[in-house]
Amino acid sequence: MNLKMETRQADGVTIVSCTGRIVFGEESNALRDYLKRTLSSSRSIVLDLTGISYIDSGGLGALVGVYSSARSQGADIKLTGLGPRVRDVLQITKLVTVFEAYDSEQQAVAAFKRGAA
Amino acid sequence: MDLTTIIPAAGSGVFPTLVFVQGNEQRVINLDHSPFSVGRKVDKDLVIADPRVSRDHAVIVSENGQFSVLDQGSKHGTFVNGEKIERRVLERNDRLEFGVREAAYVIFNPQHSTTNSAREFLSQISGMQLSQETTDLEKLVIFLEAARKLNTVGVLDEILMTLLEGTLKLTRAERGYVFLKNEQGQLRLAAGRNAKGEPVLEDTTISHSILDDALRSNSEFVLTDTSRSADLVGRNSIVAYDLRTVICVPLRKPIVQATRGAKDGTTAASGEAMGALYVDSRFASRDLSSVSQDILHAIATEAASLIENARLVQAEEAAKRYQQELAIAASIQQRLMAVTIPEVPFARLGGRNLSCKEIGGDFFDAVNTREGLAVVLADVSGKGVSAALLAQMLQGMIYSQLTAGMQLSEIVTAVNSFFTHKHIGEKYATLILARIRSDGELEYVNCGHIPPLIVSADRVERPEHSNLPVGLLPGAEYKGAQVNLKPGDRLILVTDGVTEAQDPQGEFFEDSRLEAAARKGTLEDIFTAIANFCSGAPLGDDCTVVELLYTGSKGQKTH
Repeated sequence: MNLKMETRQADGVTIVSCTGRIVFGEESNALRDYLKRTLSSSRSIVLDLTGISYIDSGGLGALVGVYSSARSQGADIKLTGLGPRVRDVLQITKLVTVFEAYDSEQQAVAAFKRGAA
Repeated sequence: MDLTTIIPAAGSGVFPTLVFVQGNEQRVINLDHSPFSVGRKVDKDLVIADPRVSRDHAVIVSENGQFSVLDQGSKHGTFVNGEKIERRVLERNDRLEFGVREAAYVIFNPQHSTTNSAREFLSQISGMQLSQETTDLEKLVIFLEAARKLNTVGVLDEILMTLLEGTLKLTRAERGYVFLKNEQGQLRLAAGRNAKGEPVLEDTTISHSILDDALRSNSEFVLTDTSRSADLVGRNSIVAYDLRTVICVPLRKPIVQATRGAKDGTTAASGEAMGALYVDSRFASRDLSSVSQDILHAIATEAASLIENARLVQAEEAAKRYQQELAIAASIQQRLMAVTIPEVPFARLGGRNLSCKEIGGDFFDAVNTREGLAVVLADVSGKGVSAALLAQMLQGMIYSQLTAGMQLSEIVTAVNSFFTHKHIGEKYATLILARIRSDGELEYVNCGHIPPLIVSADRVERPEHSNLPVGLLPGAEYKGAQVNLKPGDRLILVTDGVTEAQDPQGEFFEDSRLEAAARKGTLEDIFTAIANFCSGAPLGDDCTVVELLYTGSKGQKTH
């Protein structure tokens, strides 16, 4: 499998950093499972995609699926670290209008703080 | 031995056959069930349309491993080898006649195929009495040879049953079981037989502690005499049912022999246990400890490899079936891609698809409607049969709504709400739906797809207009866009398999190369450019390109 995920806490927000590729099959399944587990203990997640070189349609489906179920549970996932490839895909599919994406992790965390205040 | 219970699935080639001869015609029938009926009535297994044949003439039944023919009170009688009979056990090459003589007859199980000889081999051994002339070991060797032949037919159940029957005969144990590990590593009963050849199920008298010991130990087989073992007091079932002797043979995966030159001491190497053969006798009258060690050794070394081989054959058959299903799905997919392109006086349309190994979810379609010539190109996420199925559903929905004259944005809104409502998981599609009128007005709606290319004489445009893909989010809103084409302008639609085609170094084809190829030439030129770029590297995804050339409305009446 070509996807690694790591979690740490920052200011009450869970940061999930991904490295590798998010593609149909093993990788997208792993991402979905990992985020679902994370969502059981955290309602605020920043997904850092800095290390993601490639995302395909299956990976995108998994990402949107987890995002939708997070929102329906009252939780939220914000994105940061979009490389050119990931940004292109989100642009083409108009999913930039669905996800909140931030230039830096600090901005994403701050956005959660603003929402909570 | 009850033959009906060990007859394997159809087509395995181990059934006895009937050869039915009528006039110049000859037909081979597998005797794969019992009773097998013969008569003039159309519901018979063998229908002989002749007035001398009674409606319910005779049946062929299997009993104790043999086949018999029974007359059913027919008017003109049933004959075996010319002799009128009521009931007769059938032998190879027996000639059966039902009322009508000469004009139609049946030959029972003529000897011709090699698989039949393996079957016969087995039945010979099962029926063999333990005589003085043949040693037990010789019989076992014959049995194993037969089983190995059967193995090519690949029927695990039959192998297990024959293994048990052979072992019971050789050891004269009362009952025998084969346990095989399931995927979770738990032992599950795979077959059970008693000395009379009747199937038996697992019960509490089987000592699981001995089974576990045998699997854990490194020994070839465990022969336990409970009356002499003091340490077995704690083993409930042994004590409760006063079992005397148990033979338990672990079935280990055969290990591929290491190089001959390797050091000594590796001979005892044994593979992972995949199950156990367990036989026991409850009565002192049969002391299993007198069973020859040679026999147990032979069983232990051969049984596991037999089962392993049978499993491999089974897995191969399952894989073959899976391949067939995939081939069916692929052919459906190909028919979807085989679009009959409507001819219109104002435009020319072409499409081409280059499939990668797996079945993908690309499709394109074209429909001529009153509102203009409509074309759709879609790419369903994921691969395989599920993607192909979704593509087919999508194609059907879009086709019917186009012919109904609906607005393009209405169509994709309806498709989106259908797919999100049906909760088809994370499957979705990106697509472009476009419709061109005879006056050159092109309306289109892009749902998360790669932007189309609009190629004019001097430039290539990539309109940024887009919407969400369909099937991803409920309640998504879709807006269309519009552009006017001049005669000679082209609209080119591609799937991301094109821009993401990779060369051997892993570089992508990208939009820039696509635009350059589109500016220079037509559909074929684009595919040539992709092929040259990839220079032999396999495609990761289906590549589909659709080209719509607007030729103008010459000769068209304007309203």
